[in-house]
Formats: sequence, structure tokens, C-alpha cells
Amino acid sequence: MRNYEVMVIFDPNLDERTVAPSLEEFLGVVRNDGGSVEKVDVWGKRRLAYEINKNSEGIYAVIELTAKPETVKELDRQLHIAEDVVRTKVLRPSVH
Amino acid sequence: MAKPAARKPKKKVCLFCQEKISYIDYKDTTLLRKFISDRGKIRARRVTGNCTQHQRDVATAIKSAREMALLPYTSTAR
Repeated sequence: MRNYEVMVIFDPNLDERTVAPSLEEFLGVVRNDGGSVEKVDVWGKRRLAYEINKNSEGIYAVIELTAKPETVKELDRQLHIAEDVVRTKVLRPSVH
Repeated sequence: MAKPAARKPKKKVCLFCQEKISYIDYKDTTLLRKFISDRGKIRARRVTGNCTQHQRDVATAIKSAREMALLPYTSTAR
């Protein structure tokens, strides 16, 4: 089990209130696989430093979790497939 | 003609060593912005005065932040 930090950018055309529930759905993978979610932080809408897919804004969310490497890989894969997700980043803060 | 005395540049001390910060967070854009030029380029170590390790950490943090559109790759703000 390892510590991870996952950052997700959602489509800005989404309603901000729907982000948290849909994020929970994704995190079901982690919980079912014996991992735990420590913190979910939805930043809300934020200006992007450059345009992504013609959008100048994005809804940011940061998740801290503990899980097995395979579980996080699966979570990242599923996030990539989802159309509402613009970009993701998985990081291990404890390494540094 | 006497040569002017060689200029002694003030020795800068690494900010992170001073403050004893071990982990540089890529989400902390206000801090990272101090280490990029107004064009968005990463400032050199001789400018920032960072130590080798921390300059490296700053650079990776900036690159991570760029991937997530927290910092610009380039900006043509002049």
C-alpha cells in the first residue's frame, strides 16, 4: 500500500455540484480494492494557464489516497476514459 | 591605472535550505512563480541562488504544475 495524490481536471461545462458525487463513483474502485481515501478536495472552477480543448477554465479536484499500485493504475485508466475528465495526474508525494 | 577591485557578488542562500522545506509542492503556484521569469521560463540557479538539490526539486515541481495548466509553458505577456 502506498500514498498517492491524484489531481483531476474536469470539464468546465459541468455543474460544480455534480463533480463530488461523480468523483465518489470513481473512487469506489479504490475502496473495493482495500484502499482508503484520505481526503477529497474540490477546488472548484479555476483559470487554466493555457487552453485545453478550447477551454480556458477547468474544475480542479485533488484526492489523497492509500492504495496498491495496480488499483491506482486502474483508477487512472478509468479517469482517462471518462469524457468529463480533461486531465489527470498521479503523484507520490512521500517519495520526495 | 589601478584596476577596480573585483566585485564580490553577494552569496545567496538557498531559500528552501533556510526555511527547512523538504517537499516542494507543485500545487503552490505562488511560491513557484518566484522561480519563473515573466516569460514562463525556469530561472537559472545562479539567479535563484538555490542549492543543487532544491533547484532540481523546483524544476520538477514547475514541470508538474505546467502539465496540469497551473503554470504556463510560455506566456507572451510582453
